[in-house]
This record gives sequence, structure tokens and C-alpha cells, in this order.
Amino acid sequence: MRRQLGALLLGGALVGSGGALAHHSFAMFDQEHPVELEGTVQEFKFTAPHAFIILVVKQEDGRLETWSLEGVSPSALVREGWSRTTLKPGDELKLRVTPLRSGAPGGAWVTQHIHFRDGKAVVLAP
Amino acid sequence: MLDRRAIQIAALLAMLALAASGARAHDEAKYPDWKGQWTRGNGPAQWDPSKPGGPRQQPPLTPEYQAIWEANMASQASGGESYNPQAVCLPSGMPRLMIAYEPIEIIVTAEATYVRSDHLSEFRRIYTDGREWPKNVEPTYTGYSIGRWIDSDGDGRYDMLEVETRHLKGPRTFDASGIPFHVDNAAVIKERIALDKADPDLLRDEITAIDHALTRPWTVTRTYRRDRAGEWFEHVCTEDNHHVVIGKESYFLDAAGYLMPTRKDQPPPDLRYFQSRK
Repeated sequence: MRRQLGALLLGGALVGSGGALAHHSFAMFDQEHPVELEGTVQEFKFTAPHAFIILVVKQEDGRLETWSLEGVSPSALVREGWSRTTLKPGDELKLRVTPLRSGAPGGAWVTQHIHFRDGKAVVLAP
Repeated sequence: MLDRRAIQIAALLAMLALAASGARAHDEAKYPDWKGQWTRGNGPAQWDPSKPGGPRQQPPLTPEYQAIWEANMASQASGGESYNPQAVCLPSGMPRLMIAYEPIEIIVTAEATYVRSDHLSEFRRIYTDGREWPKNVEPTYTGYSIGRWIDSDGDGRYDMLEVETRHLKGPRTFDASGIPFHVDNAAVIKERIALDKADPDLLRDEITAIDHALTRPWTVTRTYRRDRAGEWFEHVCTEDNHHVVIGKESYFLDAAGYLMPTRKDQPPPDLRYFQSRK
């Protein structure tokens, strides 16, 4: 499920989280108009230069849409308590992403705005 | 006979080991302890960390290069990043490497000091063996660096490394906003690297860029925080980079490798050399 959120300023969250952001611009992602996604993890890619969540999202008309969602680098994730096994195929997630300005199913995520669908934290705070 | 030869070889090896350990002890006493993992100490990754990113960086650019930078920022605002070499995994080069997007390691030896960056697996070599500038140098992204150790307080131990870097290759930018260098690649970068006097886990690099895109030398100070037990990562940028630049257009790859537009109404790439399937 995709839900459009009101205009928000997430720039600080993206720039400030994790030391590894911003070797490339994140301007292709619309930080003022985030969307909330609920879906199922198809793959969690713990790869350079940035980790990816491939998320299958069920549309209102029943169609399935696959989102490619870019996070911070694996090393930055590790510093936040994540590992390559933190997410597994089949995990149900609810997360806020900043979508591509084009409207295509791509976006960016930060660890502060991602939970399991039942509300549990993905990584417990140390 | 065999026993005597074995004893001679053992004695020789012992002497060599003693000599080597003596040399190491001598070097370690003379040079500063910069071991460990250094992470970016002063926040976000704009070039001048004392000012907000974007227009408020106020780099002293010539009018021509100010216009180039403004065009880069305008492109960025609409989702483009063709001006940013790192988007397609080209190296940061100098001086952008010293932003430390990922932790850096500084390896000090008598002959050279090496800076290894996890980010993009970049590697700097700063010669400190007293050499002169060579006559012919093939330009590189990290450039050719010569350093000089300074004992600023006269205590018999070096505490500052002064570095000059020349012979750089482009394209390079100061940071992700696209602050440009002159296309002649004649930049000279000067650095003064030293630990904070009161905090041995805080490193400072005062970096001055001299470049024909600038109206005057531009000096910023970047800082780094030490983690002696930090974990090192392998960072191979081309492993799974989803950012694609074709001409002046930026695209984003989906999980299956198909191009997605990054901005509204973006045209697809020019496919003139492909036969369309009708």
C-alpha cells in the first residue's frame, strides 16, 4: 500500500543520518513529499555503494508494484546496529520513503522511518 | 657442520630482527600516533563545514565558474547529477577525498604517509622522503603529493604534516553540490594536518585550494574523530550502483536493471544506434 503524506521537510533527516550519505546528490528524491509504503521484502541488498530494499507493494487495484529503495551505505548501517541479515525476504515492512520526482517506483529511506508492519522496531536501540 | 651453519643462520636472523625492531622503535618515537579509524568530525559533507551546504558555501569562484556552479545546483534541484563524477563511481580525488564520506586510515612511515579511504577504495600517497618535484608526472585523481614533517613545539617529535598536491586529473568537484574546479586541472592543494593539542582523538586538516576557478585561495578546516576499534569495510562502488548518467541526463536503475526516469517528463536516452522492434 502506498500513502501520500503531507508535505514534509525531511532534508535534515536524510543529510544528518549516517555518515555516508551524500557522495551523490539525493535531489532526485522528493524530500518535501514523502510517501508511506507497506509491503513485503523481496530482497535486502547489503551492497556498495548503498544498501537497497526491494519491496513489493500491493496497489489499491490489487496490482503488485516493485519498489527499489536506496538507503545509506552498509558501513553506516552497521554503525546503526544493522547487518546483512537484519531484513529477510518475506519480512513485512512499513516505511516512509522519499520517492523519485518522476513518479517511478524508486525512492530513498533512512533507518529512523522504517518498522515492521506490526509496529516492531527493525533494530532495537542500543 | 650442519649444526654450525644452522647456528650461524639463526644468529644472523636474530641480528636482523633486532635491527628491524630498533628501526621501528626509532620511527614510532619520532612520528605522531595517527593510528585508528578517522570518521568525519564536523557533520554533513559540504566542502566548507563551517557553513551550510549549497549557495551559502559562498566559494570565491570567478563569474564564469560561479555560473557553472549555479547551473549544477539547478540541475540538482530537478533531480539531475550529471555534473557529479561520484554518481557514476569516479573517484573523489583531491581534495574531496578528505571529506571522508566513509572512514579514512592514515598510515605513517618514514618515507611516505598513506591515506586510505573506505569510500570508493581510494588511496593517497604523500612522499616524505625529501624528494623534489619530478619533471614529468602523469596526472591522477589523487594527484602527486609531497609532505614535510614539522616539529612545531620543538619536543623532538613531529606533530604536523604539511602537504602540497599537484598534477591532478579531472573531472573533480569540491563536493556533491558541484562546486567546480577549473578545467585546466592546474589546482594546487596545500594541507596542514595535526592532532588537536588537547584532544588526541581529534585530527584537523587545514586545506587550501589554489585554482584558476577561484579568485583567491580558499581555505577550509575539516576535522576527524578517532575510533581505535572501528570496523573496516570493502566499498566497491560499481557493485550495485543504481545511478546512471547518459549524456547530461541522470537515470535510476530498478531491481531488474531497467532505467527509471528521475524527473517528471524526462526523455528516454537516445537509442539511435538500436534497431527498434516493431
